[in-house]
Amino acid sequence: MLMISKNEKETKDFAKKFAKSLNGGEVILLSGNLGAGKTVFVKGLAEGLGVKDIVNSPTFVLMKVYKIGQKRLEIRPPQMWGRQKNINNLIHIDAYRVGGYEDLKNIGFEDFAGREDCVVVVEWGEKIKSKILKSEDKTFFINLKVNRLNSRLIKIIRK
Amino acid sequence: MKNFGDLIILGIESSCDETAAAVLKASRGGFKILASVVSSQIATHRRYGGVVPEVAARMHVENIVPVLGETMETAGVDFKDINLIAATRGPGLVTSLLVGLETAKNLAYFLRKPIVGVNHVVGHLLVSLTNQKEAKFPAMALVVSGGHTQLVLVRKIGDYEIIGETLDDAAGECFDKVAKILNLGYPGGPVVAAEAEKYPISNIQYPIRLPRPMLDQKNYNFSFSGLKTAVLYNFQKQKPAVQKDKHYIRAMCHEAQQAIVNVLVGKTLRAARDYGAETVILAGGVAANKALRETLAARLQEELPRVKYLQPSIVHCTDNAVMIAVAGYYQFMKNKKGDDIFNMEVDPNLRVS
Repeated sequence: MLMISKNEKETKDFAKKFAKSLNGGEVILLSGNLGAGKTVFVKGLAEGLGVKDIVNSPTFVLMKVYKIGQKRLEIRPPQMWGRQKNINNLIHIDAYRVGGYEDLKNIGFEDFAGREDCVVVVEWGEKIKSKILKSEDKTFFINLKVNRLNSRLIKIIRK
Repeated sequence: MKNFGDLIILGIESSCDETAAAVLKASRGGFKILASVVSSQIATHRRYGGVVPEVAARMHVENIVPVLGETMETAGVDFKDINLIAATRGPGLVTSLLVGLETAKNLAYFLRKPIVGVNHVVGHLLVSLTNQKEAKFPAMALVVSGGHTQLVLVRKIGDYEIIGETLDDAAGECFDKVAKILNLGYPGGPVVAAEAEKYPISNIQYPIRLPRPMLDQKNYNFSFSGLKTAVLYNFQKQKPAVQKDKHYIRAMCHEAQQAIVNVLVGKTLRAARDYGAETVILAGGVAANKALRETLAARLQEELPRVKYLQPSIVHCTDNAVMIAVAGYYQFMKNKKGDDIFNMEVDPNLRVS
């Protein structure tokens, strides 16, 4: 899937809509050079998921965990499994300063990746592309590229 | 219990990249730093470190004991002489924070000493008090580093309110990314500052004008990602020969640093004026930037001459444990009580207010 974003607002709006299609357990790898709009995308994604806090760049801290909504009962009856969305955390990781997958593992990546109540998004995700478990419907590769007239080409690949 | 006028405090910091420890003596006369050790500066780290600091939790786990050992040895005190332990509770990276705090909790338990969990940002803004006896309040603090850019109103020590912050990139991060775009080294701040300094004032060969993001908006927030993009677009437009030309690089570094400094100083002055601050405090890793220090001091002198100006010594700008010990001291002195060890947790999202 391909779209062209003419400005920051369009990137954000697109990400917001994309967020509505998530069910929990997704791992999104964002790739794109400096200034392509990765963090802008995450801001839109966060808003779409219901994060109320300011989402800024985790380049230095490496990982930020944003809580979403109220605490809900952990126990759901079997007939509710798979039907109800319950995303409680957005994990925003920036691999810009990271050497490789081991570093991410050491900061708790595997504790969150694939967890039903979390969505994990990794900026500079191409750094760990070959190392993560790829699931048919839960892993996304999204690439942002600076295009003509300072627009952005956003490509979503499901793998 | 000892006379509270004289406390030996052990500070421990491991919220992000650095593993640091320090021993501070707090007495009525002020603070005396008996030792301050930061992992990136000792041999152990150099063995593993490359150009980019390691941030994996296992590095903190490997560093904490040697760092503590060297700190205590330099200070010339025994663990039994410590009166108070102060450790960073947040904000930061959870796996890093855990190493420092859990080590501190264990020490406090076995040594039977009080412990306080400190806010890393508060540490930054209070560290200038080690070389100045006092500040008049309310104070307006600009805390600016690779991971933080905040304007904090300090009504008094212990009473803080964030009145503005970055909506995207931190100022220190902006320096790093500008350096990356220009293919300069890491860390970006010092490199960009060094190149900027080599730039002659009247170089009409490369007139570059970058935006001053959000400077004219009425709020106290910041945004540096637009500046980063402006540098990128300008760089991409140039021919390869220009991109490698040292005159272009210097002109760009000079203008980028100028833009960052203008925004930081402008917003800080406006906030200080609007809130009637008696003191302005500069804090954080970027507080080591010469242009920022000089510009802020000069403009304060010119526009708000009655306002006192505090800045940390260069060595205390970047992450260290002296600042944690200082913040811990004030926190402890509020109620003369430590925290409950069994109820102390790290908080990666801890805010000053």
